[in-house]
Amino acid sequence: MSLSDLKHQLRKYDFPICAKEALIRIEQLLVGRAAPSNKQLDIAMDVIAEFVFCEVDRRGNRRSAGITPLQELQLIDVICEYLSTCGNDTTKNTIFLSLFGGIESQRRLKVLSILASMAVSASSTSVLLAVGVWLQQMGCSSALSLQLVENIIRDHFYLNTSNQNTLKSLAITAPQFVSNFITAVTELYMHDLQGTKKLPPRNLLEVITSWVFSNPTLCMSAQLNPAALPSGSIPMAAVTPLAGLVHWCALAPLYIDEDQEMVEMIVPVKRIKLENERDHPTFKTNAFNKVLTEAELYTKLHLAVLHSLRAGRRTHGPPTAVNAQHLTGLTPHVQACAHQLLKRGIKLQNDRRLQDCLDRIGQAVQVALANGCVYGNISNLLAALDTLPENRLLRIIIKTHQQII
Amino acid sequence: MNSQSKSTSLSSDLNNFIYGVSRRSSQNAPELTKIGINLLKNFPAARDAVLEYFAMVFHDAVNVSLNQSDYEADINTNGSLESVSMIGPELCSLGQSWAPFIAPWCISLIMDIATKKSNIPNATLQSTEPVRVLLDMTTQNLTLLNSDERAKCIDMMLGSWQCSWAVGWVGRAEPALVAPRALALPPDAARAVFAHLANHPPALAHVRAALVDMFHEAIKEDSKPEKRREVIPYLLNLASKSDIVLKALTQDIEVTLSESVLERVSAVCAAQRHSGAWEGVGPGALVALLLRADVRCLLLLLQCAPTYLYCRQLLEYLLQKLEYESLFSDKNIPLLTSAAEESDLVREKLLTGNQLERYSLARVLILVGYNLPSEFVSTISYLLQHSRDDATLAMLVRIISGTITMHIPNDSPDINMDTERHQNYIKTGVEYALRDAMISDTEIKRYFIEDNLPKDQKTYLHYYCLNIIKLLRWENSNRVGHLRTRPIGRAVEASLYRIGGALQEYASLLRVRPECTMASLDEMPTCHALAEVLDRVDMSGTKAPPPSVEVILKVVQATVKYFFRCLHEKDIMDKLRGVQTACRLLRKLCIHSKLARAVALRDLLETAMFREEKAFGSRSVVANTVTSNKDWANEELLIHLNQKHGPITQLTQSHTSVFHAGIIGKGVRKQNGTDNGNGIPPILTTNNELLMAALMSCMDGNSGVVEGATSVSLLLVELVSPDVMYNGLPWPDEDFTKQVSIERELYMRGALEGCAVARAALRRAAGARPALCLASALLRAAAATLLHRHRALLDRHSQSAEMARERAALAELLATMTLGQLLPHPLSHMLELAPELTASEIVQVLRDCLWNYTRDHVPSPALFTCDATGLHWRDPSTCKPPATYTDTLRLIIQKRISKLGHLYPIMFLNLEKDTQ
Repeated sequence: MSLSDLKHQLRKYDFPICAKEALIRIEQLLVGRAAPSNKQLDIAMDVIAEFVFCEVDRRGNRRSAGITPLQELQLIDVICEYLSTCGNDTTKNTIFLSLFGGIESQRRLKVLSILASMAVSASSTSVLLAVGVWLQQMGCSSALSLQLVENIIRDHFYLNTSNQNTLKSLAITAPQFVSNFITAVTELYMHDLQGTKKLPPRNLLEVITSWVFSNPTLCMSAQLNPAALPSGSIPMAAVTPLAGLVHWCALAPLYIDEDQEMVEMIVPVKRIKLENERDHPTFKTNAFNKVLTEAELYTKLHLAVLHSLRAGRRTHGPPTAVNAQHLTGLTPHVQACAHQLLKRGIKLQNDRRLQDCLDRIGQAVQVALANGCVYGNISNLLAALDTLPENRLLRIIIKTHQQII
Repeated sequence: MNSQSKSTSLSSDLNNFIYGVSRRSSQNAPELTKIGINLLKNFPAARDAVLEYFAMVFHDAVNVSLNQSDYEADINTNGSLESVSMIGPELCSLGQSWAPFIAPWCISLIMDIATKKSNIPNATLQSTEPVRVLLDMTTQNLTLLNSDERAKCIDMMLGSWQCSWAVGWVGRAEPALVAPRALALPPDAARAVFAHLANHPPALAHVRAALVDMFHEAIKEDSKPEKRREVIPYLLNLASKSDIVLKALTQDIEVTLSESVLERVSAVCAAQRHSGAWEGVGPGALVALLLRADVRCLLLLLQCAPTYLYCRQLLEYLLQKLEYESLFSDKNIPLLTSAAEESDLVREKLLTGNQLERYSLARVLILVGYNLPSEFVSTISYLLQHSRDDATLAMLVRIISGTITMHIPNDSPDINMDTERHQNYIKTGVEYALRDAMISDTEIKRYFIEDNLPKDQKTYLHYYCLNIIKLLRWENSNRVGHLRTRPIGRAVEASLYRIGGALQEYASLLRVRPECTMASLDEMPTCHALAEVLDRVDMSGTKAPPPSVEVILKVVQATVKYFFRCLHEKDIMDKLRGVQTACRLLRKLCIHSKLARAVALRDLLETAMFREEKAFGSRSVVANTVTSNKDWANEELLIHLNQKHGPITQLTQSHTSVFHAGIIGKGVRKQNGTDNGNGIPPILTTNNELLMAALMSCMDGNSGVVEGATSVSLLLVELVSPDVMYNGLPWPDEDFTKQVSIERELYMRGALEGCAVARAALRRAAGARPALCLASALLRAAAATLLHRHRALLDRHSQSAEMARERAALAELLATMTLGQLLPHPLSHMLELAPELTASEIVQVLRDCLWNYTRDHVPSPALFTCDATGLHWRDPSTCKPPATYTDTLRLIIQKRISKLGHLYPIMFLNLEKDTQ
């Protein structure tokens, strides 16, 4: 079918319907053969631009207005419905990537953001998995991915704060998405060398901790379940969130002022007991469940990360879990911190927070190295670690591993 | 969790929403709104769509509420209105993290609505329910934003000229942000914004801060020339369009335009005045601006006038404009209103300012006073109280005449009515000033507390009087054209009652004199001044209606009080001057009013006899009640002294029952009564003479003396006599007095003798025949007691002090009666005869010649005939006493011819001749 015929047919429909029809036509065009020809790809792209996103009019000119938010919502509904009904993962990912793969306009990213965010709201697994694949293919630390992730964080951790349980369950339903999501999130916080310390919001931290803690293999899940990609495409290596999380946990003692947090401790409200009212058993256990401070959350997360590192051991093949270079990136942060302490005339050996930080680095590096999770230039890593302030555990670990190498 | 059903469709809510929106109508609006609100909470990603839908709802609702008339439908009948009422509280309560989305949405929605409905008046639009909700939401959410975002939102609004009202509205929450930004707009747009801000009083401070910032920035030395050039004309232009800007600019103008700033501004202006932007702000525009401004601007202008020439020109221009504008009485000029509000400030400046200030402010006050009579009144009152020099008083005269004649054409028919009205205001002003001055006198002053009272400090009332006196002098000099109608004199005449009251109060000895107030100063200077004021006005009724009875009574009483205060003055000149003034006043008052005379005489006599008797050397008439009781020791009391004699005193009716004579309560009678003063008080003292002069001045004029003296006589009888019986003219048989009324006579004699005033007055009455007749009772009392005592004493104590007193009394009685022509020719010589007679002879003479003659010739006015000149006179030739009354005398002289012979021819020869 030629392009003009196709367009002619689709033009019979009004907006939401034409998008729906277009998706079916694109599926026919792209899926099922060895690989779609360039011409077919072009046709698909044209159709997407005109009938799905309504970016161009029938003469191929750019529309300046685009679609309204309400139309966006309709479009998203259509896409969701399509993705949910699509049985084949490869087909699904193919369509998804062709819809959002070559994003050149902010409009499509916006649609994608809304789509992803709504999928999170509704725990729509199929869409989330597709988004996970998209994240991986675009690269978790790419600008587009970060933008998407930021949107999701804003929607679900700032605007809507009543959905923690839904979010926590995502680790089970869509682990690949969660893994990639965390990887991207770790790129967003605690990365600036000087100036403002950008910390993750507390509820985000809680959710991530809960995810990692409850499922040690979560971090590896993107690597363990390779994405079903369209034929002919190049799969991108999945980056685990482990290095990023190590980063967070190590720097947390430096960034978080525990004394300040003590004030924020929530005193449990005394409830007035009504007559005839029995204490609900679950309520009781909840009451004993102490609310963790942020520092405690990081400690818990650190433990979870160490568990995950142990689970990241691969029986065969080269290690893939943690990039040595990524870990090396920690050293400038710690050194900057140490510098400031020196400036204030504090002895580095006596500063509990700095030592805590160094201890955590040591623990993480030791577990990672011992489990063979690290790839890349390990000697470089050790050399970088050697430049850190004096710490007994770290010293031992460096010595040991330098000898091994 | 039912993830399967969710995976097919994200949620039923979402589907319903999408479906519903595509078939949008006002019926399903509330339902869709509910879904939308749910979506917002659970699917934050759908917010754009939901908000877009809400925007449509708002547009619908605005349309609906614009089209419906007020009572046509309540809110529930229309879905979109109902939805709006749901959306409002929801979006307000979403919290801080939502504000960055909600606020811009609100603002763009407002702008949309404003643009679409630009043909509808702002006020109508603003009053519709949806717009109100929307504005509330905007304000609410703006407050949740941080300052950067807020600024961004407000900038967004300012971009659209249709919704400046919305900026004004929303800006109430954030005036500090809106005000400076609005200033960046062109004048018209800025005006609209400020007009709306003006409804919110706290915004003024921020507007002012923004304006002042801009201004200071503009006149900074190092600011960019092209930037600063426009600011001053811009501000002036804006101020000419917007009241709030003008108000903000002129608030505390003297702080904003300090001296250094002024210098700088004048430098800047001089450099830039010729550029294009300044064309709109010529003197005409400035004057128009000043007319709307605060009076403090005027004061500032006045302050600058000596330094800057153009300020003087501007001032003159402004004043002329003001005067011109004031001709249209319906026009309301804010400058004048403000001047009225701040009139205290203006008046103070009028007192303390330099000449230019004073003259200019006087012109302003004339205009203010013309429109607001109350201000006119208080200006008069203020100046009368606080003026301390002639120049200020001259200003007052100018203000008064200026206000009265401001724009009445001379041929206007209602000129009289208008003058009358103003005369009333002046009178009120004079009264207020008096009242206020008296109040200020009772206020605690710093002078006293810090103890640095100026030496010649006068009471406020004194200053007030001095001012009035000066004005009255000017008025009476007839050389001041403005005062030709005697406005002040008439005003004072109209408020005589109060001035009299003031004099009475200040002259009162019982006046409260609180510490640390002017009232604690010596009050006599004030009294003198008050009296002078009274003295200077006309009370005769020749130039103005005569004063009413109340007024006369008040002034008379006050004058009498003042008179007696003057008697106590130390300085003789002050005393005489004061007494003279009082006499003049009394004369003026009494000459036209018998009532005044009666009151004055009674007051004078009563006071002199019973309250001020010390000043005249008199003894207290009623000893027991007036002098305070001494604390007697027990053994000094009569009762104890008498009881000491024990059982012997038991016999009743026995003369031994009393050993010690005296007055109960006063102990034993002193033998030679030193405490009673020795002898009879003299008549001829200064004070007595002054009092007599005062009495006489009450009886001036035609037949006034006789009438006055008659009332004096009657008064004396009334005051001296202890009861109302036996006060008639006839003299009874001598035996009658012995048996019935001797105690009474003794008392009256004592009272009369102790009181120099009464005796002196009696003499005056004797001079004014036939007034003495009416005091017959007093004469009778004296005669009866003399007769009795002489009889009792006979010759036993001829040399004692008591005897001397009796003789003096006799001499006085004879002198008085002779003067009063009650003893015709031969009898009148008893006076010369008396000193030579023995007691028994005196008894004879008194009984036969005086008593019997007077008994048979009742001393009544009928004995006196009125001659052509109006004088009463008893012709000696027609009233020769028959021989029965003169024989005793003749026999005594004959008996003692050697000693008394020289009197015989004087007394009897002519008589003989006539009888022959």
